[in-house]
Amino acid sequence: MKLSVPMPLRLVLLVLGTTAFYMYLGQIVPQKEAHPPPPVLISAEMTTEDLVAVGAELASGKGQCLVGCHTVGQSGPLRYPDLDGIGARAATQIEGLSGLEYLAQSLYEPAAFIVPGFADGMQAIDQPPISLSEDEMKAVIAWLQSLGGTPTVTLDTDLGY
Amino acid sequence: MNRNRILFGIGVLAFVSVIVTVRLGGFLVDNEYRQPDRQVAAQEEQGEAELTPRQQGIADEQAADEAEAQARPYEEAEYRTVPFVGSRVTVWVLAQLHLLFAAFVLAVPLFAFIIEFVGYVKKEERYNKLAYEFTKLLSVSFSMTATFGAFLTFGLIILYPKFTNYLMHIFSPTFLPYVLLFFLEALFLYSYYYGWGKFGPKMHLFLGFMLNIVGTAIMFIANAWLTFMMSPGRRDDVDGDGVPDFVSAVSESGALLSLRDAFFNFTWMPINIHRIIANVAFGGSIAAAYAAFRYLQAKTDEEKAHFDWMGYVGNFVAIIAFLPLPFAGYYLAAEIYAFSQTLGIQMMGGTFSWLFVIQAALIGNLFLGANYYLWLGMGRMEGGVHFQKFIKWLLIAIALCFAVWATPRYAISSVSEIAAMGGSSHPQLSYLGQMSAKNTAVNILILSTYMSFLLYRRTGRQSVHPHRDLLTRAQAIVFSSAAALVIFYGVYGYYVDAAIRIRFAIPQVYSVLAALVVITVIDLPLYRNAAQSGETKWGRMPAVSQYALIFIALSFTWLMGLMGYVRSGLRQEWHVYGVILDTSPDAYTPTLGFATQVVSVTVLIFFGLLGVVFWLSSLGGKKDWEPKPVADGRDQLEGGQAA
Repeated sequence: MKLSVPMPLRLVLLVLGTTAFYMYLGQIVPQKEAHPPPPVLISAEMTTEDLVAVGAELASGKGQCLVGCHTVGQSGPLRYPDLDGIGARAATQIEGLSGLEYLAQSLYEPAAFIVPGFADGMQAIDQPPISLSEDEMKAVIAWLQSLGGTPTVTLDTDLGY
Repeated sequence: MNRNRILFGIGVLAFVSVIVTVRLGGFLVDNEYRQPDRQVAAQEEQGEAELTPRQQGIADEQAADEAEAQARPYEEAEYRTVPFVGSRVTVWVLAQLHLLFAAFVLAVPLFAFIIEFVGYVKKEERYNKLAYEFTKLLSVSFSMTATFGAFLTFGLIILYPKFTNYLMHIFSPTFLPYVLLFFLEALFLYSYYYGWGKFGPKMHLFLGFMLNIVGTAIMFIANAWLTFMMSPGRRDDVDGDGVPDFVSAVSESGALLSLRDAFFNFTWMPINIHRIIANVAFGGSIAAAYAAFRYLQAKTDEEKAHFDWMGYVGNFVAIIAFLPLPFAGYYLAAEIYAFSQTLGIQMMGGTFSWLFVIQAALIGNLFLGANYYLWLGMGRMEGGVHFQKFIKWLLIAIALCFAVWATPRYAISSVSEIAAMGGSSHPQLSYLGQMSAKNTAVNILILSTYMSFLLYRRTGRQSVHPHRDLLTRAQAIVFSSAAALVIFYGVYGYYVDAAIRIRFAIPQVYSVLAALVVITVIDLPLYRNAAQSGETKWGRMPAVSQYALIFIALSFTWLMGLMGYVRSGLRQEWHVYGVILDTSPDAYTPTLGFATQVVSVTVLIFFGLLGVVFWLSSLGGKKDWEPKPVADGRDQLEGGQAA
């Protein structure tokens, strides 16, 4: 006996089946809730070592440095320069600029110097939507200095911006 | 006992049950324990009437509530919530439903006008009838759009009062023009629909033209509101150093600096272009789904032929608009990147990157569905067998491109699988997950679909052009060159830096666009007045082809829902990106699984309502109700009442 499914029922099954299929695809991809970065507290008595730790937290959180832009310790086709060893090579990137000045310029005026082989695109991270405060910028610079170099930044350091 | 009597009995029983329950409740309340009347009267005379403990408790509670209400200062609510569903999901579903109906209402007049115009130029009445058939869907859809627009407005005012107030502060000068244009749209829409056959053709075409102009203007205004939330300003080289600077339309505190910059903001025009094309593709697919619905209901060959043709035209409109849509999408994405790398990276490399795997499945299914329908359509024409041998090659090309596009850069893997692969990406297949491969795949998909259309167009026809061999070879060379160029840049992209690779998408896109234009320009004279080797038999399509049309409409609706979520979700915890933070409990990006559940609910509601629109629109073709004749010759009203 041939089973005949009425047309309206077929339409309903088609709509439900297609929707269920696409919804299923949505369930099998990696699931991640993205929450706003938690506030980072910087107190006046923080040492350079403390700032490095805070800077690392900011880099993968509020500062968004490691969220799809930069990497640390990767090679191959990259979107933006890998940061491994930046603490050591910062002083040699632009003649006349110290490592600290170069890092500060990279964060406050990222378009001022583009590493050869990469495209312009980074936004100043003291501006919205990232809006790092001056102390937070110092923490990020301390963390960058720690990648292959010796961090020197304190909360009293004048970044020149 | 007949069905009507049973239903009537159930109704009466339900009514009586409600009355009995209410009365019983009243009886119980009225008969709670009270002190004997004589004792109360005696106490009242002596001025010492006492309340029962229960009455005292109620009175105390009322007094406390009143005191609390009096002491509470007025505070403007920042957010309000909807129980269980939440305010974000409520506004999300309402906005998406409004947008889906609005897209349809904007798109249908566009191609109805074009079809009517073609009919006017060709002097063929069948085009006029087809355009009218499309327009029949507009009346109810317009009401649905307005209804959901009102729901959305109230939803925003109630659930996000402070933020809605802020948007009003920025855009209040645009509201009056919007309302006036909406009024004009209603005027032109109804005069276009009800005036069919009542006005001269030129006057009627003018009404259709004005309907499109006004509808597009409305969309442009609404687009300014939503794009401002994503890009509240423009980019311009203010200091003349050759690098575009961000010129904000608002101050850091959110105060308006320039309405012009807020309105004509950075992503406004890319969204306008993307939406116009997407609306036409979506509208065509929904109109084709309506035709499919009517085809499956059709009783006569004439009806089947009419709705088969309508379905074909709807699908044709959808596919023609769909072919440039990836380019418009690319332009929009590039502009988002140009406005803010952070937004762009969030979209393609961050939170939303996996969503594009689902998008790949949707677009792949759309291409497969559209090609399948075209291939089945060759069966309408005698002489279609000649081209069917090419179908398997096209199918292989489309399936391969689909597979490449759906290949993720990083695979979902267990710990042992990651160890075996030497990382979270597959050593070979991950190359297919990169943009070079994906851009190549989508361009070849477009070329393959266009080839399917060309084969369909040639089925049952023989060119009589004196240079037909030369022109056909020229088309083949253009087609092959475009495909070769696309593949060349796809492969070469793996050997250059990212900054150069990202620019390869542009020659790929231009070569495909150029090929489509050149081949079409050659094809028009080549098949003008072509000899027909057989007759096109409309209405001969198998039922499965009609389900394919409905599947395409479903996939388009899903695509709209999913991409709407990306565009809006990109802002993450910002109401207005970089200016106004969302501080509500919903200020986070949900999982993709949750997002697809919300899109599923929206799609199901939309198709449920679409069923109502289709049913109401099909009523016009049904016979008028007539009283049933009875044996003695008198008419009888339904329900047995004699007239």
